[in-house]
Order: sequence, then C-alpha cells, then structure tokens
Amino acid sequence: MNQERDADGLVEAQADSIEENSEEGGADGREPVPPRKRRWRLSRRGFLIGLGAAGAGLAVGAYFGRPVLHEVMAESFAEAEHAGSSFMQLPDDPPLWLEVLEDSRIRLSLTKAEMGQGVHTSIAQIAAEELGISWEDLVVVQADTSSRLVDSFGTGGSFSVASSFGPLRRAAAGMRNLLQREAAAILEQPENALLVEGRGFAVADDREKRADFHRLAAAITDWDLPDEEALQLKQADEYTVIGQSVGRIDIPDKVTGQAVYGYDMRVPNMLYGAVARPPTLEAKLLSASPGEAAKMEGIETFLIDVESGFAGVVANSRSAAWSAVKAMETEWDEGHLWQQEEIEALIEPAGEGGVTIQREGNAAGVLGKEAAISATYRSPFAVQASLEAPAALADVQEGQVTVWVSTQSHERAKGLIAEALGVDADTVQVVPTYLGGGFGGKLDTGVAIEAARLSKAARAPVHVGWDRSEAMLHGYLRPPTKSVLSGAVDESGRIIAMEHRQGSSDVAFSFMPDFMAFVMGADFGATIGARINYEVPNLTVTAWRKTLPVWTGWWRGLGLFANTFAVESFVDELAAEAGADPLQFRLDHLPDSPAGGRMRAVLEAAAELSGWGTAPRAGRARGVACFASNTVVAQVAEVSVDAATGEIKVHDVACAVDCGLVVNPEGAMAQIEGNVMWGVGSTLIEQAYVKDGRLELNNFESYPLLTMREAPDVRSVLVDTGIKTPYGMGEPPIGPVGAAIANAFNAATGRRIRTLPMTRTRVLEALAGGGS
Amino acid sequence: MELNVNGRSYTLDVPAEERLLWVLRDWLGLTGTKFGCGVGICGACTVHINGAAVRSCLMPLAAVAGAEIRTIEGLAERDGSGELTLHPVQQAFIDHQVPQCGWCMSGQIMQAVSFLERNPLPSEEETVRAMSGNYCRCGCYVRILQAVQQAAGRAGEEEAAI
Ligand code: FES
Ligand code: FES
Repeated sequence: MNQERDADGLVEAQADSIEENSEEGGADGREPVPPRKRRWRLSRRGFLIGLGAAGAGLAVGAYFGRPVLHEVMAESFAEAEHAGSSFMQLPDDPPLWLEVLEDSRIRLSLTKAEMGQGVHTSIAQIAAEELGISWEDLVVVQADTSSRLVDSFGTGGSFSVASSFGPLRRAAAGMRNLLQREAAAILEQPENALLVEGRGFAVADDREKRADFHRLAAAITDWDLPDEEALQLKQADEYTVIGQSVGRIDIPDKVTGQAVYGYDMRVPNMLYGAVARPPTLEAKLLSASPGEAAKMEGIETFLIDVESGFAGVVANSRSAAWSAVKAMETEWDEGHLWQQEEIEALIEPAGEGGVTIQREGNAAGVLGKEAAISATYRSPFAVQASLEAPAALADVQEGQVTVWVSTQSHERAKGLIAEALGVDADTVQVVPTYLGGGFGGKLDTGVAIEAARLSKAARAPVHVGWDRSEAMLHGYLRPPTKSVLSGAVDESGRIIAMEHRQGSSDVAFSFMPDFMAFVMGADFGATIGARINYEVPNLTVTAWRKTLPVWTGWWRGLGLFANTFAVESFVDELAAEAGADPLQFRLDHLPDSPAGGRMRAVLEAAAELSGWGTAPRAGRARGVACFASNTVVAQVAEVSVDAATGEIKVHDVACAVDCGLVVNPEGAMAQIEGNVMWGVGSTLIEQAYVKDGRLELNNFESYPLLTMREAPDVRSVLVDTGIKTPYGMGEPPIGPVGAAIANAFNAATGRRIRTLPMTRTRVLEALAGGGS
Repeated sequence: MELNVNGRSYTLDVPAEERLLWVLRDWLGLTGTKFGCGVGICGACTVHINGAAVRSCLMPLAAVAGAEIRTIEGLAERDGSGELTLHPVQQAFIDHQVPQCGWCMSGQIMQAVSFLERNPLPSEEETVRAMSGNYCRCGCYVRILQAVQQAAGRAGEEEAAI
C-alpha cells in the first residue's frame, strides 16, 4: 500500500487500504477500484448485466433483499429494454457484482461492510463455487471506498449469507454460463465438452485448446442469460469451496494494523468535531453559546442550533474538540428525572395491550384448576459496547457529500444525512468502512449526521468519533425484560399447560414508522425466543410492550438472550416438578416434526459433547438449554460456584448448532464462540440502570466487559440434518447461554437465580436462601 | 518535540499534554493503534515503550520523548527487498483465525508480544493472567489464548534452533 505523508503528517489516499483481496489474490495483492459509472440493465431473466469502462466488458450483478418498489422499477426497465431501447440505467447499482479482469481473474465487488462476522469471505466462497474457478483466481474488493467515486451503491434490506445465497449463486452461474457459451463458439465445440481450467475454458479432452475469460468476455455480444433451470446450479454434494474453512480475507489486514475503520478515516486538511450531550434522558436544549471554549486553542468553528438541540464545535485536534465541547455553555430543561423503579413498572407484563403471539388449547383454564408453578425472570438494560465507538468522517461540499462511516446500514445513513443537510440524496455518498464491532448498535447513524453538519459549518472535512461515555449513553440499549411463566405437569411427567407473559420495550419498532407497529402488534425483535417450542397441549404466550424514556433497540440476538433465559430456565423448573432429568424432559417434549427432529439432533449432540450423564469434575455441575428458529442451538454449560465469594465460574460451554448449510465451518465456530462470550458476559456481569433521570453509565468502570479470565472454554459441533441452504449464525447461539448457566447453577447449589446478571451479591443472597 | 516510532524519528509541534494515542493516530497517521476507552481499561491502545506494553491513551507525549516506541505497524519485519515477515504472534493470530471485527487486535498482539518477550514459555494460567487486561468485545478469547500459546511454542522452537 502506498501511503504518502504530507507536511501535517496526514495520510493521503488512505482509501485504497480499505479494499480487500482474496488472501492469495495475486502478487500485488491489491486492485484499485477505478472510479467509473457503470450502466446496468436487467436481462430478460432478471440478471443485471453491466458494461463498464474497465475490465473486459462483462459484469454480472445480483440484487437481493431489495424493496418491492425497486423490483417493480427494475421490471419496468426490463420491459423498456424489450421495447427496443438499449442499455438503461437502473435506479441503483447492485450490492455486489462480478467482473472479468484483464488478467482473467474474476473480481467480486461488494458494498457491504465487514464487521467481523466473515461475511465477505462467505460470499466470496459462494461466488467461487458457482463460477467453478479456484479460490485464488477470485479477487474480492470492498467497493465504493475510494474518495469521490461517482457511483452510489447499496440497496435496502439486510444482507446476509442467507439472503444472498440464491441470487449470488444464480449470478455467478449465469456469468459462467455466458463465458462457456462464448467459449463453445470460439473453440467450435459443444458447451458440454468444455471445462473451467485455471482462468479460462478448455476442451476437456484436448486441454491445449483453451480460451481465457478475458478474451471470452471481450467477445460476448449476446447478453441473454439462460433460464434458471438451464443454469444448472451445483448440487450440495458437488461443492468444493462452500463448506471449506478457507482463511478469512479480512484477517491479514487486521493483524498488521492496516484495516481501516470509520474511526481511522483520514483525508488531508481534516478537522475534528464534538457535540454537546444532554445531561438527562429527557433533556431539551434551552440555550447554548461558545462560552469559555471561544478562548481555547485550536478552535475552528461552533455550530449552535437550539431548535434541533444541536451544539457542536470543530477544532484542529480531537483533544481540543473534546475539551472545547465541555467548556461550552449549555442550558438544558432536564425534564422528568426517571428512576429505575418507574421504568420497571412500565414493562409489567399485565393489563391492557398484551398481544398473544402463540396459543394452543386453553392454558388459563388448565392452570386455574391444576397445581401450577409460576416464576418471574428479569433482565436489565444492556449496551452493545462495540470496542470501536461510533465514528464518521464527512466531507460536505457544494453538490457532493461524502461520508465514511462504520455503519451497519449505509443506505439508511444516506437518506438521513441528506435530510439533515437539506440536500438531494443523490448527491450523498456514504462509504461503509470496516466496523470495529456492530452487534446491532451501528444501525444508528447519529454520528454520521453530526459529522456532516459540522463539516458543512466548517467548510472542511470533519471527523467525529464518540468517546466511550458518549457511546454508552447516546446510542440505544437492549431493553429490560420481565417474564412471568406458569406451568403444570401431570402425574406422568408431561407438561399439560404453560403460559408466558413477557414485558419489554421496543427493539425493531424503534426503527419503524408507528403505523407498522400498529399493524404488526408485537415487536418481533422483543419477542424472539419468547415462544415455546415444546409439545404442550395448552399454551399461551403474550407480549406487552411499552416505549420507555430510554432509547432501546437492536442488540446482538435482540430479545433472544433474555427470552430464552426465561423460557429455558422455567422448563428446568418444570422438569424438577416432574422429577425428570432436564435433558430427557426436553427430549420427551419435542414435537414430532422436522423442527422437533432438528432440536433432538442438537440436544443429543450437545449432551454427547459435554459428557451429559457422566459425573462432572468434583465441585462442578452442568445445565442444558436450547433455542430453535431457522437455526437451532443446544448448549450445556459446566459451572462451579465459590460459596465464599459468590463467584460463578463458567468452565466450559458445549454447543451444538444446526444452521443449515455451513459455508465456512471455521468462521461458524468463531461466531459460536463470540456468542457464548456475549452470553456469559450478559449472564454474569452486564447491566445498566437509570438513576435520577440518567443512565448510570460512563466508561467501562461502570459497565465492565467479560475478560479472558472469566471466559469459558467453548467446544462446538455443527450438526448437519441435511438442510441445503444457509441460515444465520451471528446471533442464535447467544440464546441458550443464560439458561444453561442458570440451570447449571441450580444443579450445583439447588438454588435458582431469576434476575440477571447473576452478580456475586445475588449469588450470595441465593445461597443464603433469599430468592431473586 | 522528537518522537521515535518504529525506528523512524519525527519532529512534531504538538501540545506536550497530548496523549500518545492521538499523536500516533492523528498526527502520524498510524491508525493501527486503536482507541477503546481512553482511561486505561480496555487495552486497545497498547503499544511498546522501550519494549514494555503501555496504554498509549494514558501516556502524555512529554513522558515518551526520546523513548523507543513500537506500534503494530512496526511489528512485522521488512527485509531489503521489501518482503514482509510477520511476527510469530501475528502469524499465530492468522493461523488460529483469531480476529473478528479486529478492533482490539493490535492491542492484543502488542500485549502478547511484550509478554512473550519477558516470559517465552508461559503456562496457560500465566497467559490468561497477562492477557486479561485486554478486552475483546467480539469474544475471541478462546482463540487468542490458543494463538498466544502457539506463538510461545514457536518462539521457543526458534530459540532452541539457535
Ligand atoms: S483506549 Fe487505552 S486502555 Fe482503552
Ligand atoms: S475482534 Fe472485535 S473486539 Fe476483539
């Protein structure tokens, strides 16, 4: 990489360092993405084909997760094309595309940022598979990273391996098909006599006869792709790249300090901004002025707009900006000073407004008559705490706005920045960088808007990087939950009725228009994991939701962690009622369905991995829990409890997951490990609460994270139950962790802790016979 | 002010109370050293000062004038032909596919390198103790431990070969 330092020590042209390449992607290892406008058109079969200024002239793009409106527009473009017009420009560029390079390697450009989940690598594997080329001949770049590119990429909708699997395979197979057809013509052979060899097609029984991809791509004039059936996508048993643990392509740059994140973005002559923060949850800005800050060194400009509650400063160093913003004079109306108890009263799962999300038989009737048990589980507010705090660099110029930001949703950022600046969204380009963690928290685009407003005021590029306390206090949090579970078992040990009343706040609804919330009723983000997946004849699950004075929203796994903690702890309590082994009790209540079969497979695999049924080491005990969505997960945690200090030590978590087709097993294992650490941290340590109108959060001293000392060993197994499409892996394994630990704690001590986190104080209370 | 970073010397006009972290990142453009907390808790900003792992977010510039500072960018060796040889710890982090988001990794690696320089063949317990001051929010702890233990073995082998 070339980095030139100018007189100020700033790095020029840093953007090229964000690109990625396949690990062994050629001698130079880096391919610049030239600025260009590519024209895309929809082929008759729904593929995007583009002609560009660079490369050999053939690019195939794939759309997925697109809003319906875009599909309709794309279709009408296709119609227009059939009516005789030639290349049309589509409303948006595709989120990824493949093109042939001059050296006949194939380049995969994708616009989605990598946040550590290995998505770039997985997507590259899928593309290489259907192209039929070797991993080394695929070059991967993060598109749209060089400054002042004219293209504006990105589409709405979430991008994950699961959603891109189908479209990407079809695009890659389509491209191979076009090249193969051309090869057949040039080599004067039937198509089925050809095979991919190296970077071209060769005649199978006369390999001297060959044509490289570049030559083929340059020759193609017929752009129609075959029907989907004729594409002959590979069958799962033919895969040679999918299912392999190839090295993640983003890793080399992450061990040498070369990977560039939003916090690292630099351009010449950039300045640094900071914004005044409200002192309480409800604070409204009444007045603001530079005050003492006006006299400080290095200040460039102030931006004060009381109406929108904005008071910020731009300075020539980050430290100067941070000091200055503290010295500004601001006056706030603090509003109601909320206390934690008031907030907890709001999430009470009772009264008006409950939405029933699951119902079988008549649970209330049975529970009213039979001897039932009931228990209440609680989880607190929690922060995402990505180690990279939110950060963005904005360069606002007349007619062209460029913003580099660590974001999970650059498309959303684009619209909001345009709105904040009062400019046309087409003039705004948002460039996603690497993310130093996202975990749901970086769907927020506040920092990008702040940088853009300050850049406009300063008439210079401005970087805003939040400090840790801003990151903790001014994003959204995981909402607290309160779950009341009731149930009854009969003499034979069968669950005859269960009821789950769940109270929480907004997760998905924080980001949706009100009418959507009205239409949908329950917030799926808050209720995920609240359903009961066992065979129970009488069953009701009802969710209550209240918007809180604390901003709540996405967090790793959404409501999964807290809800699974409640449901799977209670299943153990029912097992105890029935006098049954917790594992056997679960197996005995699985539905006789494919889903039930998958749950059985992971429960049995986790049991085997953990040695369930054998005696654990002295002083240790085991607990099991599971969770089922598309991805099914079972875990066994092994813990010991120090009765003197109240410390719970989680020694080992054995985890079995069926996430459908696994694209990169090593990457999947890493996701499991990360989820388990999150789960352990949330079970034992993490909590935030409100006091005197503000969150009692500041830096990591008020919200410590799990360290290696508390980290368990994680052993995992990927269970194949024959599903041929990939499901998610980035979040589901967080689900069972809390319940597995709580159940193991119960097995170790005979006590049960129902309020998270299981701090030492709570453990000591529980051991002394107090309940929680 | 004279600053010696990765064997290169810089003359800078920076307020003496400025923290080393921001000088490295914002003045010198060495953004491999990361900001996580600014108060010495997370370890993301770890660099070497005269070989010792130090939290650069706490270190006033005046305190390190004249010292030998090494950052993640200066860890791999570049030979005469420009070929880069990764430090055994960096290589071990690749071999074990350790990083997820990567934000903590410069700090983890700098911490591990300095630890292994002092204690080339640590027990697992010693490694856990040495690495427990570095947060990894992505939760890569299982792999960090494996990688540091592997790198220790490798460093040991090299010594044995000499
Ligand atoms: S940034 Fe220095 S220890 Fe966290
Ligand atoms: S890899 Fe993300 S914080 Fe460690």
